Amino acid sequence: MEIQEEKQGDILIVKIDDHLDTSTAPVFEQRLTALIDRGERKLVIDCGSVQYVNSAGLKVFLLAAKKLEPLGGRLVVCSLTQSVLMIFEMIGFTRIMKIAPTLEEALRVFGPAPAA
Amino acid sequence: MHEGSIIIQVAADVKEIERLNKLVRQFGELHDVPSRTLYAVNLALDELVTNVILYGFKEAAGQTVSVQISTADSELVAAVVDDGQEFNPLEAPAPDLNAPLEDRKLGGLGIHLVRSLMDHVSYERTGSQNVLTIRKRIR
Repeated sequence: MEIQEEKQGDILIVKIDDHLDTSTAPVFEQRLTALIDRGERKLVIDCGSVQYVNSAGLKVFLLAAKKLEPLGGRLVVCSLTQSVLMIFEMIGFTRIMKIAPTLEEALRVFGPAPAA
Repeated sequence: MHEGSIIIQVAADVKEIERLNKLVRQFGELHDVPSRTLYAVNLALDELVTNVILYGFKEAAGQTVSVQISTADSELVAAVVDDGQEFNPLEAPAPDLNAPLEDRKLGGLGIHLVRSLMDHVSYERTGSQNVLTIRKRIR
């Protein structure tokens, strides 16, 4: 699986692609854990290209959100495709994670960008 | 949806899930299974077969899991059959979806998805086999 990272101010945008399943979830989990361990606290996961997620993939979102909360950090998930959003709703994640329809709105969750 | 059936043998290796999903998709398209139904069935089968592969056998190498799918007018029925240890995943406690983030448990997500995506889920131990059957009506 391909994982792209982009920093905007103190927010880190992580973009993942295609299939988040039992084979690819461990890669995603390792990366997110490493990012949190190195001090990233404001994370946006851009799921615009994710077509499929199973429970192994869902677990990674939950794990990262749980890890960030006591550290004063936050995980925002954005641009979910219709079928993946349905899965997030089904598993109750829309109640415990901030889900934004677009990347722009995800960034806005962390407040206005600091003036240059 | 057209009447039909298929039996897919899957080696007990998580890498096989992708092939399983491909075959299920092909079967579904051939039998005019609505795409939303197909998505749900594929995800449910992924969860169930992965569960068997990871936890069902003392030694997974050389084992196989059989997936049997049939379609009729208004219902798709699929069974996951394995020779592993007796195990009923439906006995797992349901996750508490109302729990706050700090109390949310990591386990039980897969089987909760299966229950939510399907209209009916049942487990049976037949001889030395586990048989997990899922049903999805087409509306």
